[in-house]
Amino acid sequence: MKRLLGVALGILTAIGGFVDIGDLVTNAVVGSRFGLSLAWVVLVGVVGICLFANMSGRVAAVSGRATFEVIRERMGARAGLANLAASFLINLMTVTAEIGGIALALQLASGVSYMLWVPFALIAVWLVIWRVKFSIMENVAGLVGLSLVVFAVALFLLKPDWGSLASQALHPSVPSEEGPGTYWYYAIALFGAAMTPYEVFFFSSGAVEERWKVKDLVQSRINVLLGFPLGGFLSLSIAACAAVVLLPAGISVTTLSQVALPVIQAGGQLALAALLLGVVAATFGAALETTLSSGYTLAQFFGWSWGKFRRPAEAARFHVAMIVVLLAGVAVLTTGVDPILVTEYSVVFSAIALPLTYLPILIVANDPQYMGKHVNGRAVNIVAFIYLVIILVASVAAIPLMIATGAGA
Amino acid sequence: MILNDILGRDVMDSTGQRLGEVSDVRFALDAAPAQLLSRARMVGVVVCPRTATSFLGYERMDVNQPWPLAQLLRWRHRGSFLVLWEDIAVMGPDGVRLRSAFMAYESTLPR
Amino acid sequence: MRKAKPIPVQDIRPAPRPAGLVLDAQLHLLDRQVLDVDDVPVTTVDDVELSGPAPGEPIPEGTEAPHITALLTGAVLGTRIFGGRPPSSRFIRIPWEVVAGVDTVVSLGVRANSLDASWLERWMRDQIIAKIPGGRHDPE
Repeated sequence: MKRLLGVALGILTAIGGFVDIGDLVTNAVVGSRFGLSLAWVVLVGVVGICLFANMSGRVAAVSGRATFEVIRERMGARAGLANLAASFLINLMTVTAEIGGIALALQLASGVSYMLWVPFALIAVWLVIWRVKFSIMENVAGLVGLSLVVFAVALFLLKPDWGSLASQALHPSVPSEEGPGTYWYYAIALFGAAMTPYEVFFFSSGAVEERWKVKDLVQSRINVLLGFPLGGFLSLSIAACAAVVLLPAGISVTTLSQVALPVIQAGGQLALAALLLGVVAATFGAALETTLSSGYTLAQFFGWSWGKFRRPAEAARFHVAMIVVLLAGVAVLTTGVDPILVTEYSVVFSAIALPLTYLPILIVANDPQYMGKHVNGRAVNIVAFIYLVIILVASVAAIPLMIATGAGA
Repeated sequence: MILNDILGRDVMDSTGQRLGEVSDVRFALDAAPAQLLSRARMVGVVVCPRTATSFLGYERMDVNQPWPLAQLLRWRHRGSFLVLWEDIAVMGPDGVRLRSAFMAYESTLPR
Repeated sequence: MRKAKPIPVQDIRPAPRPAGLVLDAQLHLLDRQVLDVDDVPVTTVDDVELSGPAPGEPIPEGTEAPHITALLTGAVLGTRIFGGRPPSSRFIRIPWEVVAGVDTVVSLGVRANSLDASWLERWMRDQIIAKIPGGRHDPE
């Protein structure tokens, strides 16, 4: 039983990575414009994140070292700092977006203005980081976030043409209204969203928080193999719902309420309630994950003491950094910027930062001084190397595509 | 003297001919045991003809995976050699100058 | 960058093997986490201080090899990345004598609180964290 409940870390990491506010909207946008013709990207992304999260979890369990410590140690101070700057910026953008996302979801649920919910969301997220035990946090946020499975339920209730959905997925092609440039731009965006570095930072630091050791390697693997495919499944459900309801009607997705349309159509108010609960929980979980990631990356680069398992008094710089990040995020939100727009950009930037994060992990996972006899097997290395090439290609193509397509317009 | 004063600086022989850059500094803990660890005596300087950037760990002979990366990095660092402390004439931010009769040794780490 | 004159392969001899543990500074020491005796992180190793020689000064033949006096942190990180060198008085030192082991991390034999290197942590703790309610309690 403990094994089963012990998958909360994987689920929470995946929820924050696959169905945070940005991904919710991006998946709906993709579904409404491309149907399921980009489903293969989600699959590729899920395999990729499983591979690398498993490696970083293994490194953390065997050597006790979380990912950013490894990044600095392998790449040196200069490259490590560049990586830190990029990751920190992405984290900050995402924290901003998630706090905004919590407020948007609460606005949708209650009708009370979004701006009034922002301070509430800020305090709530901070309180959990300040006082709540890691295990309770991951269990609650992870389990409640699973109510997003309402998208899958809604999909069944909508009685879609399964054959047409399957052919979109299995025979991907660029729809007539879209160009190949936008198709590949969204492919990179989805890939970047699936493999966002903060997922790996959070998962490996969470492994240290949970005190995983060599005997927990199986636990780590179960977390990965259960959590991320589940995240991918939720992603695909959202896209499929949009494909079934919004694509034929030509409805474009720009707000959260449009994301909810298919669910309301399928299951009415009850389904909407489940949806809102799931969205609040998922964005809350993502806010926790990204705020903690900013703390983890800073602390691991500079060598500060960190961790929710320590009293705040024993990890002072870690907590101060996170308070600053939260306040900065809220400051950005008060300028009135649309949080969903912020996150769509941050996803593309994640794709650019991917090689810097994954190369050191791959190298350390092969280092006997860190891993003892738990170094990568040959098969894992071959697949990981192929992914490294894919990641490099995506990273290089991201900016030109973004400029050429006007960020997917 | 701090390590940043010499890491990455040019290494020249006694005639001023450039031999490469300082890619690492080697120490040995072979003195009498002190309170915790023995003193770390400087053995010498690792010189790389091309670049001083990090080996990413492939200097250690037993790290061979992933294979393409290991080969690439070993190739980039080919020709690296170790110069002992006794053969160093001057060390500083302007570079490291060796004595005229210096000996070049293999730079792979003993294990 | 002037091309380096390569050393012919046959001139490279096998290295003498020192008696004890061999460490390469960049590979084994720099950028490693420093943990205290209770496994609490203290800092990362940003630089390493040697007992000599004077930079740029000719070294007389037969001079004894320098040894590591301290691991450095603080302002040296900025100068290591961007160039330059802070004055020695600005170094935050962890004396080599308190280092107990060098592995995937550098382990110390003393508590973090007894070191200069942890002053910023202690300052933040006393000035900021302690002032927020609940800061001194375990999470629940």
